[in-house]
Amino acid sequence: MDQTTLVLALLPILIIQFALMIFALVDLIKNPNPNGPKWMWGILIVVINIIGPILYFVVGRRNY
Amino acid sequence: MSILEVEKLTKRYGQESAVEDLSFVLEKETATALIGPNGAGKTTSLSMLADLLSPSSGKITVAEGLTIGFLPQYPQFFPWLTALEFTEMAAKLSGIESKKARLQASRTLGFVGLESAMNKKTGTFSGGMKQRLGLAQAIVHQPKLLLLDEPISALDPTGRREIMDLLKALQRDTTILYSTHILNDAEEMTDQLLFMKDGRLIEQGSLNNVKKRHASPHIRIRFANPNQAAEFAGRLTWERELKGAVVFLPVYKNGPSMQQVLEVLSSEKQDILGVDYQTASLEEIFLKVVAAK
Amino acid sequence: MKQFSILMQKEWRENIRNYKIYWVPAIFILLGITEPVVNFFLPQILQSSGGLPEGAVFEFPTPPPEQILAAVMEQFQTIGMAVLILAYMGTVAGERKSGTATLLYVRPLSFPAYFLSKWVVASAISLVSVWVGFLAGYYYTLLFFDRVEGMELFQMVGTYSIWVLLIVSIIVAASAAMPNGGLAAAVAFAIYLILQLTDGLFGAAWSISPVKLPQYAAAWLADSPDSGSLTGAIGIAALIILALLVFGSWISWKNKAKTKV
Repeated sequence: MDQTTLVLALLPILIIQFALMIFALVDLIKNPNPNGPKWMWGILIVVINIIGPILYFVVGRRNY
Repeated sequence: MSILEVEKLTKRYGQESAVEDLSFVLEKETATALIGPNGAGKTTSLSMLADLLSPSSGKITVAEGLTIGFLPQYPQFFPWLTALEFTEMAAKLSGIESKKARLQASRTLGFVGLESAMNKKTGTFSGGMKQRLGLAQAIVHQPKLLLLDEPISALDPTGRREIMDLLKALQRDTTILYSTHILNDAEEMTDQLLFMKDGRLIEQGSLNNVKKRHASPHIRIRFANPNQAAEFAGRLTWERELKGAVVFLPVYKNGPSMQQVLEVLSSEKQDILGVDYQTASLEEIFLKVVAAK
Repeated sequence: MKQFSILMQKEWRENIRNYKIYWVPAIFILLGITEPVVNFFLPQILQSSGGLPEGAVFEFPTPPPEQILAAVMEQFQTIGMAVLILAYMGTVAGERKSGTATLLYVRPLSFPAYFLSKWVVASAISLVSVWVGFLAGYYYTLLFFDRVEGMELFQMVGTYSIWVLLIVSIIVAASAAMPNGGLAAAVAFAIYLILQLTDGLFGAAWSISPVKLPQYAAAWLADSPDSGSLTGAIGIAALIILALLVFGSWISWKNKAKTKV
């Protein structure tokens, strides 16, 4: 696999991961009452690519 | 002029009846207090009037074009909407023109004292704020009939006072039917009383009429000692009751007026400590009526 | 019509503010990416994992790009549908259970407008999710393998979209009929499984069964589905969707007494 293909393959994933992470982190900071400790969600959102932020939106945020 | 008539309204769940044979009339621009212990059927009755529940039998007749505002006991809001967004949506769904809805919503929120919290998400609201927002959504379309389920029970004394004052202001051009178990408030704002127990209406009428029927008001004269009281009572021709150093004179049933009593007392040589008018509070009356049924 | 647009605005706000318009498509993109990526790296993974005799040479046939997109659809059929059910099981039932619906129901509410607003928004987000999911799958297939004809992709996605609409209709109607989101999900799952099972067991001759729509969608990639069967299946799906919209509006109205007061 050449360099260009690799960049083209990784770029969309990186963009999606980055966007979800930012959305989730901003929401987590504003969230007065997440479902579970804030620091734990912070770590999950940053460490687990894509799945972390989605888990936060589905399980962690509660409506506020 | 009546704007709503309820005839033999009944709601049964299987064998259990939540409301049985409820009949009353709401006159235009009056306040009616629906009073009863928990489980008396107040919420069920209000839900039927608000068209959330359909009655098992009976009839509700409303004046033509009647608009209704409803405040549940624990109003729930979409936590992701701001107070202004919610109230505006409520106004539009109740038929207010889109152009006017926002202005109307922000005015109403100002009226209930939520001016500074208008653009906050309702999910962050405290119980008292939710109650105010609940009132705002109920009145934003200026309904002719307001149905309020325990509008003040969940509030602290200050909040209760403020909401009571708002309701009294509204009452000038709105018909209000509200349930409560706080009887002091009912005494303050009521043209008609409805007492409910176990789903049935056990007493109804104006505050005065209910008091006349159950309160047996009397004039109380307090003397310095029992001997003086007994001596005074012995000279009276009116119906009287002696309790220690106190003489009670029933006002109804051919009893004397306060003026007549004062005339008699003006020439009295005994030591009189005080004369006043005594009547049972609504709470005492309610307990009496409930106990009797 | 006026109430419909008011309620649509409410549904949009909800789906934006609870981030559903981001995470539902994100999951479908993830599903779309996984299939081509795994297929591309599979030979390397197998070879590096050891356990193969020294010096053995394995020829892995390169799968045709059409097969990879069909596999993406398989992912959507299982995990994707589960995600849609989870996302929209509470759309009506949840409002009643929490009591937020009460302040809507005490107004002169048009229940068809109420139900339709929920259906339209759930459908729009589900369709866009499926589309971007296929787009992601298409992009990675193109990158790692080969081109799929644009027209074939378009026809496949179009046909599959009807199926998605049918599923969303079942989910939203179940939510209107059931007392809570969990039961709505259970009912929607049960219907989904029963549909697949009956069609699998007895449906060989039912060419116009809408359950075959995913199959017909995939057929566009190889050849093209029988146009009579496809038209019939789409027609029946449309009728069922219409019936579900009528049923959903009615049952929402019928269940209004069940809102928490």
